[in-house]
Formats: sequence, structure tokens, C-alpha cells
Amino acid sequence: MKILVCIKQVPDMESKFKVAAEGTWYDNQDLAWRMNEYDEYAVEQAVRLKEQVGDADLTVLSIGSDKVKETMKKALAMGCDRGAHIADDAAWNKEPFQVAGIIAEYARDKGFDVIFTGMQSQDRGSGQVGVLVAEMLELPSVSTIVDFGYEAGTIIAKRELEGGIKAKVKVQAPAVVTCQLGLNTPRYPTLPNIMKAKKKELLSIPVAELLKVNARMETANMFFPEKKGGGLVLEGEAGELADRLISILKDKTTVLK
Amino acid sequence: MTQLPKGGGYLLGSTDPKNIFTPEDFNDEHRMIAETLSRFLEERIFPRMEEMDAKQEGLMREFLVEAGELGLLGADIPEEYGGSEIDEIFSTIIAEKLGATGAFAIGHGGHCGIGNLPIVYFGNEDQKSRYLPNIATAEKISAYALTEPGSGSDALSAKTKAVLSPDGKHYILNGDKTFISNAGIADMFIVYAKIDGEKFSAFIVDAHTDGLTTGAEEKKMGLKGSSTRSVFFDNVKVPVENLLYKPGKGHVVAFNILNIGRHKAAANSVGAAKYALDLSATYANERKQFKVPIAQFGMIKEKLAEMATRIYAAESTVYRTGGLLTEMINTLDPSGPDGYKVIAEGIEEYAVECSLEKVFATEMEAFVVDEGVQIHGGYGYIAEYPIERLYRDARIRRIFEGTNEINRIIIPTTLFRRAARGGFPLKDAMKELKVYLNGETVARENPGDVVQAIKDVFLFVMGVSYERYGDEILKQQEILGRLADLAIQAYTTESTWLRTQKTAAANGQNAKLKTNMATAFIYTTVEKTSLAAREIIATLVTGSELVNMQSDLNKLLNYTPIDIISLRQKIAGAISAAGKYVS
Ligand SMILES: Cc1cc2nc3c(=O)[nH]c(=O)nc-3n(C[C@H](O)[C@H](O)[C@H](O)COP(=O)(O)OP(=O)(O)OC[C@H]3O[C@@H](n4cnc5c(N)ncnc54)[C@H](O)[C@@H]3O)c2cc1C
Repeated sequence: MKILVCIKQVPDMESKFKVAAEGTWYDNQDLAWRMNEYDEYAVEQAVRLKEQVGDADLTVLSIGSDKVKETMKKALAMGCDRGAHIADDAAWNKEPFQVAGIIAEYARDKGFDVIFTGMQSQDRGSGQVGVLVAEMLELPSVSTIVDFGYEAGTIIAKRELEGGIKAKVKVQAPAVVTCQLGLNTPRYPTLPNIMKAKKKELLSIPVAELLKVNARMETANMFFPEKKGGGLVLEGEAGELADRLISILKDKTTVLK
Repeated sequence: MTQLPKGGGYLLGSTDPKNIFTPEDFNDEHRMIAETLSRFLEERIFPRMEEMDAKQEGLMREFLVEAGELGLLGADIPEEYGGSEIDEIFSTIIAEKLGATGAFAIGHGGHCGIGNLPIVYFGNEDQKSRYLPNIATAEKISAYALTEPGSGSDALSAKTKAVLSPDGKHYILNGDKTFISNAGIADMFIVYAKIDGEKFSAFIVDAHTDGLTTGAEEKKMGLKGSSTRSVFFDNVKVPVENLLYKPGKGHVVAFNILNIGRHKAAANSVGAAKYALDLSATYANERKQFKVPIAQFGMIKEKLAEMATRIYAAESTVYRTGGLLTEMINTLDPSGPDGYKVIAEGIEEYAVECSLEKVFATEMEAFVVDEGVQIHGGYGYIAEYPIERLYRDARIRRIFEGTNEINRIIIPTTLFRRAARGGFPLKDAMKELKVYLNGETVARENPGDVVQAIKDVFLFVMGVSYERYGDEILKQQEILGRLADLAIQAYTTESTWLRTQKTAAANGQNAKLKTNMATAFIYTTVEKTSLAAREIIATLVTGSELVNMQSDLNKLLNYTPIDIISLRQKIAGAISAAGKYVS
């Protein structure tokens, strides 16, 4: 069996973001980087599938500068067998159709039985890539899965719907699944596995070899929403609070006169 | 790094920033294990810290087994015996992260630090293959039994005795050990005893042997979740194969393991202090008095800044030393007939650095947890707040792995001894300094110059102390203690400055904050240098001689003070904005 898992390196979401000078993306100075949260679920599930079927080869793919190799090494330490690094210093500037195009081009003739992706990236959040990859490869896809099973060529996935309802979906492999929070608890890479990962194959492929589609959209600009007059939290004794509330309502609104 | 620097060599020449190891030099694997550790602590250990400190049966073993599954027990163990055998930086990162876990850190250190390293470095093939794989998985828990009721700091005066059995197959051990970490859960002990009451030697002892018993659990100030007991030996039969290294060479094992133990204790302190600052910075942002977060008060800002600054200094020092130990261990070739001696001498090379960092980092931690409690106000005194535990847990680190007094004695004593053997050119350095003092001296204009001033003052005072006392100096503890402090000030300020320069040259992360912290650290430290040096010279000489020496000191310490207060405001701003330690 051949498995592919696609991951993205994103900034730690607790970082302080600034819009970069060009005004279409965030400034990547002084940020800490990590694996996109949803991709962690994807890697974990891919590794579990490999462990389940035994005879499987699991490739992790990531697009970006050399820096993303650090995150790929984590996936290798979690149990992926080999890495395909699509070298692209301008990956941040690619829109979802292009990203999916690159992945599909890479995967096209390789005969992957299951392709895992996160349901979206934490920094761009388009939620399109996995599903577009499936369309480009003419494969079925199941999005936002919270449970995954595999038996004799059939994937049985659960999806979470609004209001806590779940749906069970069956699909024949090859197929693409996009992974959602709740799917699993990603393992910690252990020290011996971190050291073993160093010896695993991690090949870089120039993006130019794989980028065959044109962008279909462009980001006009990126901005922080204008600050609305900030909220006001009152603290103190209930009686005193009531008095202050009344005086604010009188001064600042027309509710009380 | 091209050539290994000599131990204590930092005091003499200058070091290129490129040649020291800094946390900015972590590779991907180092960062990954740090991340694994952070998650392990947050998800597994911290939530159950209270249960552990209530001594819930079996919990320590459970956690050690889990740590074993993550590979956190085998970092110092060769691959062929079930470990990962990786560089000392990994071990330093593990020790740092675990430092915040109080009792667990001690359980871990007793087991795979001091309870393991004697076998790793001084065990033979048979001993390694019998014990190390079980240590790596925590199938067998280890402990280190050196201290006795009557011999603590004076470890070599141990009374525990080993006598060879008439058939020559066993040593029969008799005696008492006290304050032994992990004693209550241990399956094996590294025990020091004197063969025939004379030859101080190390043994591996199976805890389940007849005649070996442990006392009641000690009721301790902190680290409450770790087992601390006496261990009694009543005609305990230890197979002769379990003698470590050679008869009468126990001190070589004990002291070299202590050097590594000191390095790990220093790393523990850094981790605990970072956690204390994280808690305190968060608390100061949330707690309001007089309608504003207390983080906005000048005196609180100053505390946060000084806590961060000293942590930064200790972190720089500990990783620089970790880098030295890694390089040194890499160059050792223990394959020859005298392999163990090679290792012992290798570790011994940086004995001074290990003592320096242990004293500095543990005292840094004491300061940080104390100010941490203060920032928490009354809540800091309440057990529900983790800072209360950190405060209690910190206290032991100035006492074990050699008390800080003993470590202070080791520092100048080792340097004087090396000077006597020609290994540390004190006389030449002194000559050079005198030439400099008789010529035109310069003002110290930047932090790097001030570091040089601190180093010069150390050599000057060390030199004049020796001129006054000769070999008798080794009996003048008050002077030795101050010389140790000066050597510590030199090492820590230099490590901090070199790291900062290395970061700046690489346009690295938070270069501005690092420069601020390093500058604040260096300019506050040099005041302590000045005080200690003046106290030494005033006890060495009197009258016009004292006036002249004071004038020499003034020449060496010719610098203009800087505005520390505004620097600290900037540092505190960065810490409060992040709500945690950043560097
Ligand atoms: C929680 C805990 C865990 C421990 N774990 C272990 C363990 O796992 N294995 C183990 O073997 N031991 C362990 N110890 C023991 C510890 O290492 C000793 O307590 C320590 O070495 C100090 O010895 P002591 O208590 O006998 O103090 P002493 O040696 O009696 O010292 C008392 C005071 O005198 C000072 N002093 C002593 N000699 C000198 C000198 N020459 N000059 C100046 N001042 C001096 C000391 O610095 C100290 O301030 C542990 C202790 C504790 C409390």
C-alpha cells in the first residue's frame, strides 16, 4: 500500500502577527513555526494506517523553503517513511488551486491508495486544497473526518455535522481524506525515533517541475479589522456596578434620560 | 569548534563567539525533543503533580516507564544497550525541561543520571549489558547511595565497609547510607563502600538482596513526591563482578559523575526558573490592584526584568558548558586499555566550569522563585499556586550535588592546583596585568570591555592572594569563596555576552532583547565584582599598600555606569507582552 500525507508549516498561532510591507501576507520575522494542527491529525492517522496494514510505504510531502524540512522531520519522527520536499521560497504566495496543482502533479503517477491532508491550514484557512487535489486526480474525497477506518480497500470515515450529528461515509480507495480536530491524539516523536528520522530519505524537488496550473485568484490586501470602540468591563460591588451602569447609559446612550 | 579549550581557559584569553554553543544553535532534532518534552510535561506530569507530591503509590514508576517509552531515560546510554547515545545537548535539554517538575526531576536524575552514569562511564561490558537496557526502560529503577549520616560533604570519610568473602565470590557490605533519592522504589543501587575499611570503591547492588533494607520515608520541605530514605546494609552479599571500575577507585567514579550531575542540576534550575517566571509574568498581567495590572508597577517590572536577565545568563552559561562537554566527549577515545582513565580525565577537564554553573544557576533559581512568590503576594504562599511548590522544591539544589560551599571551594582550589602544576599560567597572566597597570590603562566602554574588566580583576586578585599566602591560600575559605564568586562572574558574563554577540551577528531572534539583558547583567554584575575584590584586598594588605592596590583595582574597573532602570523597563516590557520568558 502507498500512502501520502500532505503537511504545511505554519506560525505558532499565539504569535504577534504583523502585515508584511507588500500588504498581502503576514510578516514572517521573529515567528515560531510548527506543523499545522490539522496536519498533525493527518500524519497520526496515516501512521496508524501504515501500522495497521503493515506492508505500506508512507510519504510526507510539504511545499516551502528549506525551513519546512524541520516540520517534515517531525512527521518522519512520528513514523513517515520518506519525505518529498517541494522547494519553493514563494510558497506563501501560492493560492489553493496552485498548491493543489503541485500536489496532484507530484502524486499523479505514483499510485497512492490513500492521501491524507489537514482539513485546512491555520494561516490561510481556505479549506480547499485536499478536495481540489482529489478533483484533479479524479479521486473521491471525504472532507473533515473525525474517525477513520480501513478494511480491504474500503475507507469508512465519520464526519461531524452541525449540532453534533455524525455521518458515516464509505468510499473505495484510492481516495483523499481531509482531517479534522477530534480524529485522534497525535503521538509525541520519541527520542529514538527522532534520531532514526535523521537517516530517512528527504528529497527536494524544485517547484518549477510540478507547478503546471495558473493562479485563479489573488489576494488584494491583508489587514486587521478596524478596532471598534473597545468593550468596557466593569468590576466591583453589585450595587456600585448598577450605579455606574446607569450613569454610562445616561451619558453615552439614549436608552435612559 | 576547532580545538578544545582548556578547562578554566576562558579566564585567560578571549573566546570567539563562533566557538561557543548557544541555544540558538539547536538543530532540528534538539528542537523536536524539546517540543516532545513540553507536551509530556503539560499533558502528563503537571496535571498530576499534586498526586505525585501526595506520594501516590506507583506514580513515580509509572511516569518513569512513560519517560522510558519516549526515550528520555536512555539519552546517555549507548545504542547497543537500549539507549540513543546522543550529544550532551540533548541531555541538557531533557534536564532543563524536567527541572520544573520537582519530585519527578529528582526521580529521573537519581535513576538515569547519577544512578546510571557510573555504569555508562565506568562499567565493563558485562555490567553494561546486564543493567543499562533495564535502566533505559525503567524496568529496573536505580538510585545512588553515597551520603552517610556521618559523611556528607566529606564523602570520602564513608564508613560503609566491604569485605571479600572467604570464597572470593562476594563482597560483604555493612553500613548505613542516608538521604538516598528513589530508595523506596529502587531495584538497584550504586553504593560506595571501603574495601577492608580503606579502599573507597563503587559497587552495583541489587536492592532485593538479603540484608538490604530501607528506612522510613523522610518528611521533606519539598520534592515531596520523590522517595528519600536511609538504606541499611547488614551483611549484604554483592557478587565480585559488581565492583565498578577498580578497587580503591571509587572516588574517580564519584567525583566525575558529580561533575556531570552538577551540569544537569544547573540545567534543572534553568527549567524550573523559566517555569516560575512564566507563571509570575502571567499572574502579573492578570492580577489588578489600584485598578491596573500589577505588571505595570515599576517595582514589579524590575523584578520581572531581573528574573529574565538572570535566567538568560544561566541559560547561556549552561549551554556553553553543555557544548564543551559534548565536544570533549566526542574527542575521547576510550577504546584503549586505559579507556576509563581517558574518560575520567576528560570529564575532569571541565570540573571548574561544572561547579561554576551549578552554583550560579541554583542561586539564580533561588532568586527567581523567591521573587516569583513575591509577585504572587499572599497567593504565592498558598499551595494551590504552583509557585509555592517551586519555591520549596528549589531549596535542595543549593545543597546536593556538592553544597554550593563545597563547589565554591573546588573552583579556586582546582585553579591554584593547576597553576602549581603549570596547567594554568597564573604567574604569566599576573605579569602581563602588572605591565598593563604600569602603562596607560583604558576606560571600559562597552559590555564586552566590562567582561574583560571582570576577568582582569579575578586574575589580579587571585595573583595577589597567592603572593600574600602562597599555598596557605587553600586554607583561607573567606578568600576562596570570593575568588569563586569572581570566577563565576567572569564565566557567566562572558558566556552571556558571547551568546548575545553570536545572535546579533547572525541577525537572530530577539537580538535587541538579548542585548538589553546581557548589558543589564554585565553592568550589575561588575558592581559585585568590585565589592568582592575590595573585600579581598582589604584583608590581604594595609596602609599604603592597600591604597596602591585599590588604585590598581580602580584602573581595572574604569567604566561609566549605565541606566539600568530604563534597560529593565524594556526587558520587562518584552516579558509582559509575551506573558512568559522569551529569549
Ligand atoms: C532531598 C535530598 C536528596 C538527596 N539525594 C541523595 C542521593 O540520591 N544520593 C546521595 O548520596 N545523597 C543524597 N543526598 C544527600 C546530599 O548530597 C547531602 O545532604 C549533601 O551532600 C550535604 O551533606 P550533609 O547533609 O551531610 O551536610 P554537611 O556536609 O554536614 O554540611 C553542612 C554545612 O556545612 C558546610 N560544609 C561542609 N563542609 C564544609 C567545608 N569543608 N567548608 C565549608 N563549609 C562546609 C556545607 O556546605 C553545609 O552548609 C540528598 C539530600 C537530600 C536532602
